[in-house]
Amino acid sequence: MDNRSSSLADTLERVLDKGVVIVGDIAVSVVDIELLTLRVRLFVASAQTAREMGIDWWENDPFFAPRSAARQLAAENAELRDRLAALERALEENRP
Amino acid sequence: MSRGLYAYAITRDRRIDLAGPWLIGHRGLALVVAEVETERFAGLEFDEPAEDSPLAVLARYHDAVVRAVFQHEPVLPLRFGTVLDGVDAALRLLGARHEEASAWLDRVEGRREWGVRVRAAAPAPVDLDALSGTAYLAMRRQRLDAADAVRRGAASVHRALTRRSAESTCRDLAGDVLLEGAYLVDVENEEDFHAEIDRLTRELGLRAEITGPWPPYSFTKVEFADA
Repeated sequence: MDNRSSSLADTLERVLDKGVVIVGDIAVSVVDIELLTLRVRLFVASAQTAREMGIDWWENDPFFAPRSAARQLAAENAELRDRLAALERALEENRP
Repeated sequence: MSRGLYAYAITRDRRIDLAGPWLIGHRGLALVVAEVETERFAGLEFDEPAEDSPLAVLARYHDAVVRAVFQHEPVLPLRFGTVLDGVDAALRLLGARHEEASAWLDRVEGRREWGVRVRAAAPAPVDLDALSGTAYLAMRRQRLDAADAVRRGAASVHRALTRRSAESTCRDLAGDVLLEGAYLVDVENEEDFHAEIDRLTRELGLRAEITGPWPPYSFTKVEFADA
């Protein structure tokens, strides 16, 4: 049963965070397992957020970042107001 | 250099050739062990999750030994970094936890763990300049509805797979992950289990990442002491 195909994160998460824990005098403490496990958990969580999508795919997506949409709408609004003003001026000038 | 007895797993006491690690047997149970220099584990870091980092190499090896045993016998994987005082300690552990460990081995026998992960799809980019205000609001609503449907779909996948497995467990979700489940499946039901994943993901338009088969890591969360 080769396991090269499993991602390192999946393997670390299982090997470090799961399985039988031996407690008591018989076990020798050789590694700060709590700290390593915490780091792996953080890594897995952040990898899940960003993986395969590029880190910033949502930043310009109006659904996930409504503020980027708001900025674009504000710009669009300003442009429309300018055009309206220009049209009104043109109308004024053409008035008999 | 101080040396200790690294313990990989508890299994049944059978003849298994592991090319390195060996078995300490006691009343039908065995602990899979190898002598290690404990210095190898001191100061292990998890900064760069690279395949050639010392932690990754040791974790992959731990997994490989557990899997080698798992090919022949049911196995209770021990958590990474379990080092015992010596052979006496191993025998004390097997003696003190004989009933419990035997029951756990019966529970996982003939079963393998499968991981199933379902992510939300990244929505297609939209050209906002081409959208009217009404169209933008309609798109927002449609995406909220779609996200809701996908979340409900992921939950129904978990329920269906739980029915087809002996045990199941779900990890806390983070980011765009909608389901992160582990399932302990009878070997004879595996075909049915995978057919169900295919059917449901097709039906619901979801994409599932499947990992496994794993030894029953996620289903052996228990503490054993020597007394």
